[in-house]
Amino acid sequence: MVLAGRIGRWLLFTALAVYMLLPVLAVALYAFATRWTAHVLPDGYTWEYWRAALDDQRLFAVVARTLGLAAAVTVLDVLLVVPAVYWQWVRNPRIRVLLELAAAIPFVLPFVVIAFGLLTLSGQIVPFLQGTVWLLGLGHAAIAFPFLYWAVDGAMAAANVPRLNEAAQTCGAAPLDILWRVVVPNIGPGIATGGMLVFATSFGEFALVQILVGNRFETISLYSLDLLSGTNANFGKLAVITCFTFVIVFAISAAAVHWNRGQATRLLHGGQPIEGRG
Amino acid sequence: MGGVSVRNVTKTFGAVYALDDISLDIAPGELLALLGSSGCGKTTLLRSVAGLEHPDQGQILIAGEDVTQAPTRTRPIGMVFQSYALFPNMTVRQNIAFPLAVRKQPAEQIAARVDELLALVHLTEQAERYPNQISGGQQQRAALARALAPAPQVLLLDEPLSALDALVRTQLRDEIRRVQQAVRITTLYVTHDQAEALAIADRVAVMKQGKIEQLARPSEIYESPSTPFSAAFVGNRNALELPVRGGRIRLGQVFDVAPTGMTSARALVFFRPEDVELLPNGRGQPARIEGKTFQGALTRLHLVVEADGQTARLYADVPSRSAGTLDTGSSVRIHVDPASVRAFPADV
Repeated sequence: MVLAGRIGRWLLFTALAVYMLLPVLAVALYAFATRWTAHVLPDGYTWEYWRAALDDQRLFAVVARTLGLAAAVTVLDVLLVVPAVYWQWVRNPRIRVLLELAAAIPFVLPFVVIAFGLLTLSGQIVPFLQGTVWLLGLGHAAIAFPFLYWAVDGAMAAANVPRLNEAAQTCGAAPLDILWRVVVPNIGPGIATGGMLVFATSFGEFALVQILVGNRFETISLYSLDLLSGTNANFGKLAVITCFTFVIVFAISAAAVHWNRGQATRLLHGGQPIEGRG
Repeated sequence: MGGVSVRNVTKTFGAVYALDDISLDIAPGELLALLGSSGCGKTTLLRSVAGLEHPDQGQILIAGEDVTQAPTRTRPIGMVFQSYALFPNMTVRQNIAFPLAVRKQPAEQIAARVDELLALVHLTEQAERYPNQISGGQQQRAALARALAPAPQVLLLDEPLSALDALVRTQLRDEIRRVQQAVRITTLYVTHDQAEALAIADRVAVMKQGKIEQLARPSEIYESPSTPFSAAFVGNRNALELPVRGGRIRLGQVFDVAPTGMTSARALVFFRPEDVELLPNGRGQPARIEGKTFQGALTRLHLVVEADGQTARLYADVPSRSAGTLDTGSSVRIHVDPASVRAFPADV
C-alpha cells in the first residue's frame, strides 16, 4: 500500500511537471529550430536566433527597461502597501473594507478599461504625466497591488502583528521603529511572495504599456508584439525572448521561494528548533 | 521605584462597563495582583496603566506623574504578555536589548545590561537562540527580562503563566516573585488563578464586573472575605443559602452562628472544606459520604447533610492517610467551628 501510494504520488507529480513544462520546452525547442513543420521534433537546429538576439542592442535596452520598470513598481507597491496594511491592523481596522474593495478592482475591470480610465483621468488632473513612464509606473502599481496586499495581510495575521506592535510599544519603540525593526522582518515571506507577483505582473503587462506610453517606452511585451506582426515577424527570435522572460521570472520566483523557506521556519509560531544554531 | 495611582477610572466598551469608577494605589515596590474571572476588567485595567487602552474618565499616575494621556511608549513601564510576544526575528539577546536599542543607548551599555538580565532570569546559555528554539517557560523569562531591561518604574504582567503547564507555572511564579523582590519593582499582576494570586502578591484586588470587590493582603482575603463574591471566588469554599431565624443561622449540629447586623431572612454562608472537622461517634452532625476525590495530600469528601428539614451538599478535606477507611456510602459526623463561617445577607 505504501509503495502504491508512493508510485501514485510520483505519477501525479510527473504528469503535473510534464503539463507545466511541455509548453516551455516547446518554445525552447522552437528557439533552436530551423524549421518545424509536420514532425514531433524540429526539422533542423540552429543558433541563429540566439546569436541575433544577443547581438540586438534594442533587445537589451528593452529588457533593461522592463526590469527597471518592474523593480520600481515593486518597490513603490511595497512602500505604499506595507504601511497601509500595518495601519489597518494596528490603528484603523475599518479601512480594511476600502482596501479590499480597491484590491478587487483590477480583477473586475479589464486592463484595457483601466488603461483608458487612467488616460482620461490623468488628462484632466495631471496632463503633464500623459505619455510618460511615470503614469505607466503608477498604473502598474495600481493593478498589481492586490497581490501584495493579500500576501502582506496574510503575513501580518500569521505574525500576530497587533500583539507584536503592542509589545514593541511597551518597549518604548516609535511607530516607524516598530514598522522597520519588528513588523517588516516578521512579514518578510509575505513581502517576498507579494513582491514577486507584483514584479511578474508588471514585467509581462501589455495593455497599459500599449495604451499609456506605446513605443515611447518599449517593454518586452511591446517588442514581442512587434516580432509577431507585419514585415518584422520573427517567430524564432520571439521564442528566444520568451525563453529570456521565463528564465528571469523563474529565477526571481525561485529566489523568493528559497528565501521564504528559511524565514518561515524561524518566524512561524511552533517552528522546529534548530539545535546548535547560533 | 514609583507607585501607581488609579483614580476613578471608568472604561466602557459599548454599553458594557469594563471598568466602573475604579480607584486603587500600589505602593512603590509592591506586587499587587488583580484577580477575577474572565471579563471582570482586570486586563482592561492593566492595559489602561500601560496606555494600550484609554479610560473614558479618571486619572492614572505613575510615580506621581499623570500619564493618562501619555502614549504607551513614553510611559515608564515594562510589560509581559500572556502570549510572551517576543519578536520572532530576534534572538533572546536581541529581544532583551530591543528596549535599550530604541532608546539609543550605547552598545557597551546595552551589552552589559543584557548580560546582567540574562543572568537574572537564568537564560545566559539561551541568549543566541530564537524564541521558537526555547521552551515556553524560557520564552516567558526572556519576556520578563525584556520588560525589565529599561529599568521601568512599573512592571505589568498580563496572565504571564496561563499558557504554561502546572509544574513550570509554579516554578516560574516563584521566579517572578524572586526577580520582583530582587529588583524591588512596583508590579501589577493580572491572573484568574487564585492560588497564583495568593502565593505571589503583597496585596490582592478581587474584581467583578469592572469593580474591585475586595483589596487586601492574601491572608486577609483568604481568611476574611468581605463580599460573597470574594468568599466564593477565593478558597474553594462551601457555599450554602440558609434561613436566618432569630438572628441565628444554623445547619443542624454542623454550625450555629449569630452574625452581627444580619437583618435579611436568608443568608449566604461560606466555609472552607478544610474547616470541616470529622468527629468521633456521638458528637456533631451525621453526614453521608456521597463520593470522594483524591487530591494528593488531601482527599475531598463529598458529603450530604440532612438537617433542620433541608438537604445540604458540602465538601470536607481530610488528610489522605486517614481517608482510606472512609468509604462512599458510609456516614461520618461533622462540625464546623463558627469562627470559620462567613455569612452575608442573601438578598444583597
